Amino acid sequence: MPGTIVQSGFTDATFEDFLASRDEPGWLVDLRRAAWKKFNELPMPSRQDEEWMRTDIRTFHFSKFGLPEAAAAGTDVPPGLLTHGVDLAGRTVTLNSQSHQGELEEKWSHAGVLFGSLDSLVREHPELVRKHLFARAFDPNYDKFAALHAACWTGGTLLYVPKGVEIDRPLHMLSSITDGGVDLGHTLVILEEGARVALLAETSSLVPTGKGLHVGAVELIVGPWAHLRYVNLQDWGSGVWHFAHQKAIVDRDAAIQWTIGALGARLAKVNQHVGLVGPGADVQVNGVMFTEEKQHLCYHTLQHHEAPSCRSDLLYKGALQDQSRIVWRGMIKVDPGAQKTDGYQRNDNLMLRSDSRADSIPGLEIEADDVRCTHGATSGRVDDELIFYCRTRGLTRKEAIRTVVAGFFQQVSDRIPIESVRVALAEAVGRRIREYS
Amino acid sequence: MSDFVAVAQVSDLPDPGKMTVEVDDQIVVLFHIGGKFYCIDDVCTHDGGPLGEGERDGCQIICPRHGARFDVRTGEALTMPAAQDTRMHEVRVDGNTVSVKLSD
Repeated sequence: MPGTIVQSGFTDATFEDFLASRDEPGWLVDLRRAAWKKFNELPMPSRQDEEWMRTDIRTFHFSKFGLPEAAAAGTDVPPGLLTHGVDLAGRTVTLNSQSHQGELEEKWSHAGVLFGSLDSLVREHPELVRKHLFARAFDPNYDKFAALHAACWTGGTLLYVPKGVEIDRPLHMLSSITDGGVDLGHTLVILEEGARVALLAETSSLVPTGKGLHVGAVELIVGPWAHLRYVNLQDWGSGVWHFAHQKAIVDRDAAIQWTIGALGARLAKVNQHVGLVGPGADVQVNGVMFTEEKQHLCYHTLQHHEAPSCRSDLLYKGALQDQSRIVWRGMIKVDPGAQKTDGYQRNDNLMLRSDSRADSIPGLEIEADDVRCTHGATSGRVDDELIFYCRTRGLTRKEAIRTVVAGFFQQVSDRIPIESVRVALAEAVGRRIREYS
Repeated sequence: MSDFVAVAQVSDLPDPGKMTVEVDDQIVVLFHIGGKFYCIDDVCTHDGGPLGEGERDGCQIICPRHGARFDVRTGEALTMPAAQDTRMHEVRVDGNTVSVKLSD
């Protein structure tokens, strides 16, 4: 268990204290030091960069935060939204990036499954973690946030499912923060050949209006013929800055269904990549976003077809109210050898107020000549005729809008096979819808 | 409802001149023109461009990305490609202190 770190900015002194407080293998310490150097060298992202020109982080200052500080002993963490009515095979909870709780059914640990705090498991299984951590899915040099994460990640979760093991019930991981807390959790999921599992991940703040910082990363390594269902619900408090790099590597004839729910945070900037690296890989990405007040969510997605005969299908849907803003920039990239690629991406936005704003920027970069790649994007306002019709059936205006929004998200909801996820997303969105005159 | 927040000294900003300032976690542009102070969002309503980095032409500011013009006194969008006004904020000068109150 790492010691408590005093929060006083990301400085050389606090970084050295942080390293000293951890008993980690030499290779990991070297990796952290290299990333820390990079963090100090790299500039803040520039608004001249295409990736950042629609996302203004000038009011974000690293100096207002520091390395994660443990919450007061005995702090209670409420269960996650995605756990309601689900029979789980295991779960982990972190609070301010510190492992808070962890359990896995015995039969799965006997089968060789590892599920728990990455902090501890990196010490118990260093070679396994070393093989995958930052090796293929996550680039510590990508930008300043990636470098900070690589240097200072703490807490987080490792899930390892050995060859051929199929876990029949979902696993759940919750990352929570206190008001003003910092989360630098790293998620590493490794599925060996033919493994199968569903992992429900979610974030939350103990105070719904709480402030905080998350600089995180997710690495999903899906081996040949493996199958992963991964749900990632971001429900931080309304004052949290959220920066994340998330990538899946999907091998031969493997499949991943990746569902994103983006509801919280004052500003979220996420790079979500899927790399289809083995022939026959199959990827489905679903996104549900709901924003309010001055929230700003920015998602950059990349479907990278590196091998032939792969399929990727991305559907992101966003509903916006108040003065919120959603930016989605999606790219399907097809390498020269990736013939018979079938790639699709779509982004729909529903504006509940005229002063909200959605930017959809789909893109294709195709270097093979026998592929099918298509994309689409729509933005529109709630149709007054639909509202009028609902009201003639006895619904109030708020109920009518809620019905229209539910219908808008139905297309994504139909693609999610886990009922608790469908219900949790619908309830979370429904709760946020306001009365409009 | 936000209150007035002191953001600069009169002597910080030459006349004519402009500067970006942070008010309640938001960046806005403060102008000093003809002895008067004005304040608008640092956001071009066309593409979110940073107006504070644009060139000033009299009482107009020109977005550095696509050339949309806004009236710094009112936030009014004057030319395409901006079709919506940007927000204007109230400015108060007390002695040497310039304060801004964000619009809701």
